[in-house]
Amino acid sequence: MNDAPQLSFAQLAAISRVRWLVFVHSLGSLRGQVELASRIVVGCIFALGAVGGGTGLGGAAWFFLSHGQASLLTILLWPVFVFWQVFPLMATAFTENLDSSNLIRFPLNYPSYFLIRLAFGALDPATILGSCWTLGIWIGITVASPKSFLAAGIVLVIFGVFNVVCSRTIFSWLERWLAHRRTREFMGIIFFLGILSLQLITPAMHRYGRGVRYEALRTASQVSPVQRVLPPGLAAEAIAQATRSHFVRSLGYFSLLCAFTLLALILLDLRLRKQYRGENLNAVEISKARRQTDASSHGRLGPNGPIASVLEKELRYLLRSGPMLFTLIVPAFMLLVVRNAAGNSFLAQRSEIALPLIGGYSLLLLTNLIYNNFGNDGSGVQLFYAAPVHFWQVIAGKNLSHALILLAELFIGAAALSAMNHPPTLAAIALTAAATFFALPINLAAGNLLSLYFPKRVDYAIFGRQRAAPATVLASFGIQLFVFAILAATWLLSDRLQKPWLVAGIFLPLILASLAGYAVSLRLADELANKRRDILLFELAKG
Amino acid sequence: MDEPSILTAGLTRRFGDLTAVEDVSLRVSPGQFFGFLGPNGAGKSTTIKMLTGLLAPTAGSIQILGMDMQKTPVEVKRKIGVVPEGMGLFVRLTGSEYLNFVGRMYGLSRPVAAERSDELLAFMQLADERKKLVADYSHGMQKKLALAAAVIHGPSILFLDEPFEGVDAIAANTLKAMLQRMAAHGATIFLTSHVLEIVERLCTHLAIINHGKLVAQGSLEELRAGVQASVGKIESKEVLTLEQIFLSTVGETRTNSELSWLE
Repeated sequence: MNDAPQLSFAQLAAISRVRWLVFVHSLGSLRGQVELASRIVVGCIFALGAVGGGTGLGGAAWFFLSHGQASLLTILLWPVFVFWQVFPLMATAFTENLDSSNLIRFPLNYPSYFLIRLAFGALDPATILGSCWTLGIWIGITVASPKSFLAAGIVLVIFGVFNVVCSRTIFSWLERWLAHRRTREFMGIIFFLGILSLQLITPAMHRYGRGVRYEALRTASQVSPVQRVLPPGLAAEAIAQATRSHFVRSLGYFSLLCAFTLLALILLDLRLRKQYRGENLNAVEISKARRQTDASSHGRLGPNGPIASVLEKELRYLLRSGPMLFTLIVPAFMLLVVRNAAGNSFLAQRSEIALPLIGGYSLLLLTNLIYNNFGNDGSGVQLFYAAPVHFWQVIAGKNLSHALILLAELFIGAAALSAMNHPPTLAAIALTAAATFFALPINLAAGNLLSLYFPKRVDYAIFGRQRAAPATVLASFGIQLFVFAILAATWLLSDRLQKPWLVAGIFLPLILASLAGYAVSLRLADELANKRRDILLFELAKG
Repeated sequence: MDEPSILTAGLTRRFGDLTAVEDVSLRVSPGQFFGFLGPNGAGKSTTIKMLTGLLAPTAGSIQILGMDMQKTPVEVKRKIGVVPEGMGLFVRLTGSEYLNFVGRMYGLSRPVAAERSDELLAFMQLADERKKLVADYSHGMQKKLALAAAVIHGPSILFLDEPFEGVDAIAANTLKAMLQRMAAHGATIFLTSHVLEIVERLCTHLAIINHGKLVAQGSLEELRAGVQASVGKIESKEVLTLEQIFLSTVGETRTNSELSWLE
């Protein structure tokens, strides 16, 4: 196979070209252009992170070496390592994966396949950021100790190679796992829980500050010997020993680092060979495990008719969507966070606005559902056109489910408030009810129209990248800003005048106008759905 | 003369500058097993979408069982069953839940929808998979489920877009028997398929569309006679197959061309 390297290069070039063409073609649509703009913004944020992080870590490395604390480099290398490994995993849980069968159908030899799979992750954000940060550390070390330039460079290059290979190894093993939808959802839930848990760290530090700091220091001293024999610690020690001219010791740590890199390569090789031989990760799950669904499965929800059917279908979808179920607990969870963070200051003093705030926050969380209410139906939307039903009935069923979710959120919020402080007062309940009767119909009305104008296929069963169309996001943001401004102004006015019941009086005409708007949206639904039929079916039923 | 089940006049659909279907006038009588054929991109799926209300025609009229599709779409839809191009499934429901949902969307009461769902799942050999999410079904199982959903309300006309694609031979036989029984009981079956052997065996009447225009319509015998006359085989004892009729009608001329570099 003399032409193997050449073939591999040609295939890499072909893959790059395909990705470039996909990108160029996407610019032909308004959506593609908007997404490019958002990518540029995200790219700028990443660039800031890369430069800022690199500078910070470089400065810290310089500081440690200048003060004869080279071993403390481990404090810098561990976060780099953790980010490098964890970030791709989070991104994997949030998105679909590369199907290896797309590659192995081409006449690739194994070395080419291995290289392509390795290169596939070489330009991901974690690698770019990790490389920039490592470069920053190298520059910091070099400025503080120019004689360590070469040794630190070699060690950090191997550290970088280890990180790339390790992340590919973990990724490829998890890929087998994450190829199954249920596991992907499970991983998504785990990471979501992890992210939520992070919210509790600051409040916990505030509350139990000293104790935690002491515990952290005690734990750090216990794990220190362990971390020194793991790659970030080994890299730090190899550099530290080199700066002290203990080259034999440095070589020892460096050899261990190389051994870890080799081990990661072997593990990656094991996995990729299986994939190369045709292991199909996306095969239909053969597990015969029965799902824990209602045995009768026919449900007993409400009367007959399309509205009840759609409502039932929407609730079944909700119950099977991990991310959507989590939106139900987020408001109560945030209440806990705010309470822990702020002690008893604001919410305790103005408890009458806690419940309306929970309602407002819940409404924000429902934005994707309300403003893209066919997004989750996929090709199923064809049934709504084929079945003998009016579109307003379908939309009403969906809206009813959204209203029920909001009601459930308010109920959970009220229960959480009662448990933490005291039950909401009658005035707070009246304020919440009035605000809800105003804000919900107007949001549903706008959502119904935008759902018909800018539908976008989404899968609420997986985490991340589940936004509505950019135009919808922008419009919904404007509408919600308008609604919340009116609510805030009304509340402030009644608060200034010391007449809480005034709010309900002011809201009455607003509620009537909002309900009228909602009725108009339902009346327009059939006509609009017919006019927008091609767009809806194209956007939602496409592959 | 019976009122036709399906009657279209000058049916046209344009997408910008592209005319996907042009001036199609179809007549399908009750109880007919009607095959709608054409090469890829000829306009079959576009036509079936217009007939089932999934796509609005640019021009022309559609009468289904004497009712105007444009004026009384809901009444028409009550009488028809559809397996659309993408099957139109709700993949986050179980097979049983999906059939119940469809049944209720077509106006069946809850107990009737439940009873028919059970029967259909058993008939389609999906009863063991009733609690599995549709997303976890194989392609063939999804196809069977889509067919089950299309007949749950006992439609008078059934529109099937490639119903046998991805279905195994055993299931295909079951489906064919079911469709034949429906036709025998007076239902009209309108199907598109690329499997000409199946169409030849099942369909009594055919229409062939090419480049968006209807190029032939009639019973299999009428089409056969027409092609034999046009190619000068009127005296021949050879009976033309549907494949020969089809290729002759759509004017296929490249079958014998070769690629010089392909050994």
